[in-house]
Amino acid sequence: MKSLTLRNLSKTYFDLYAGTQVTAVHDVSLDVPAGEFVSIVGPSGCGKSTILNMIAGFIPITGGEILVGGAPVKGPGRDRGVVFQSFALFPWRTVLDNVAFGPKMRGIAKAEREQIAREYLALAKLSEAADRYPNELSGGMQQRVGVVRALANEPDVLLMDEPFASVDAQTRMTLQEELTRIWQEKKPTVVFITHDVSEAVFLANRVIALSRGRVLDEIAVELPRPRSWDALHEDAAFKALTGRVLQLVRSA
Amino acid sequence: MTALLKLWGGYLRLTARWPSIGSIVPFLPVIAAWWLVTALELFPRVFLPGPVEVAQSFVTLTYKGILPAYLQDSMVRLAVGAFWGIALGIPLGLLIGLSRRAHAVLWPLLLFFQAIGDIAWLPILVIWFGYGLVTMTFVIVYTVIFPVVLNTVLGVRTIHVNMYRAALSLGASRLRVLWEVVLPGALPNIVTGLRNGLGYGWRALIAAEIIVGTSGIGFLMFDARRAGSVVEIILGMIILGILWYIVDSWILAPIERATGQRWGMVMR
Repeated sequence: MKSLTLRNLSKTYFDLYAGTQVTAVHDVSLDVPAGEFVSIVGPSGCGKSTILNMIAGFIPITGGEILVGGAPVKGPGRDRGVVFQSFALFPWRTVLDNVAFGPKMRGIAKAEREQIAREYLALAKLSEAADRYPNELSGGMQQRVGVVRALANEPDVLLMDEPFASVDAQTRMTLQEELTRIWQEKKPTVVFITHDVSEAVFLANRVIALSRGRVLDEIAVELPRPRSWDALHEDAAFKALTGRVLQLVRSA
Repeated sequence: MTALLKLWGGYLRLTARWPSIGSIVPFLPVIAAWWLVTALELFPRVFLPGPVEVAQSFVTLTYKGILPAYLQDSMVRLAVGAFWGIALGIPLGLLIGLSRRAHAVLWPLLLFFQAIGDIAWLPILVIWFGYGLVTMTFVIVYTVIFPVVLNTVLGVRTIHVNMYRAALSLGASRLRVLWEVVLPGALPNIVTGLRNGLGYGWRALIAAEIIVGTSGIGFLMFDARRAGSVVEIILGMIILGILWYIVDSWILAPIERATGQRWGMVMR
């Protein structure tokens, strides 16, 4: 696990239809120490996904810099694992082969990479599904696969782009609890993008509120772990925190 | 009404257990109608022979060894042509699907040559290569390649950008992405292209055999016309249908079931 640093990160692009220069991300600076879980929360169009895509190396930056463990980011790479909102599992590979994909690209032998994949599948309680194809699984199970596929490659930073936005509410709560459990076990550095304020607070050590491409403020979340919805949904401290973040996001 | 539904239900259960029955039964009414028309002698026998005469000619031609030899010739030509059509078509489709420059340069050429059509090449091919396998192969390759290329391009373009992103951020190199993402991602469309291409190729082959052939099923039919044997013409037509049915259900359909359908990328 390594730290992640954003220094004066900016993204401007030329809008062909409007015929003007648009700034999607404006001078964002952020330090995520190794092993921290940070949520970035904001409404649609606030630039949060743009930030994640730049960290992942999917789109070029137009200002500032991104450092992973002190080294600048150049394009996508295995040091930054990504979990997608649309899961993005390979439909032509079984669950096991999806999870073993990263280790395979690293040149790890078949027996060993399948062993790794099975360990991670067990971590997400997915051992039964190893030989099935993604389309045979529910959305919630597919995204569990998406999370362990990224983790099994042992990235320095885990990037999650609204990963639970397209599963139903009950499943989402289960997945959130599982994610906090897995995070406690593996302690990866995580940047989690969401528009859901309570999700952001529930998961993170720190919540960054974003609006119109700028950081509004950041709020430390010092709730005890392990976290569960049973314990937190009536918790006064949790309610106070979500209330603050919500106010921040809505005021902008 | 309920009796009919029950009958239909029974038929579905029967064909589920023995699928080969399901591929024969639909032809029974057609054969019966054909037999009835010939039995009533609505047309002179020499113009429209019945199923029995055609079956007899099948036995005779098989016994003489003509039919097996011609069948083999046609199948070998199709196989050779299909092999080259696939071997050239898939890489070309991947190139055009992946590269804007290749698309800009090759697409207009592709459309132009697609319009010329397979048979339109025959006059010049006969002058260049004579009445042989080269001419036949050229025509089949020419027919197979366009559907394969066009569908491969479509397949490549329908791969979601997140598939590439996922593979790259899991550490795949550009070359690995080609093998691990582009090829399997485009495969359902490639198989569709193959099915269309082979279907067109099969027809082009028969046309080519009729015009320039010295053997093969197409030649059999044309030769029969010269001899005035309607029986053999009809036999040839039936063999064309059966052969394509076999190629489709023994080769193409299993590939489809094992890939796109299995992966949930194509509806069953």
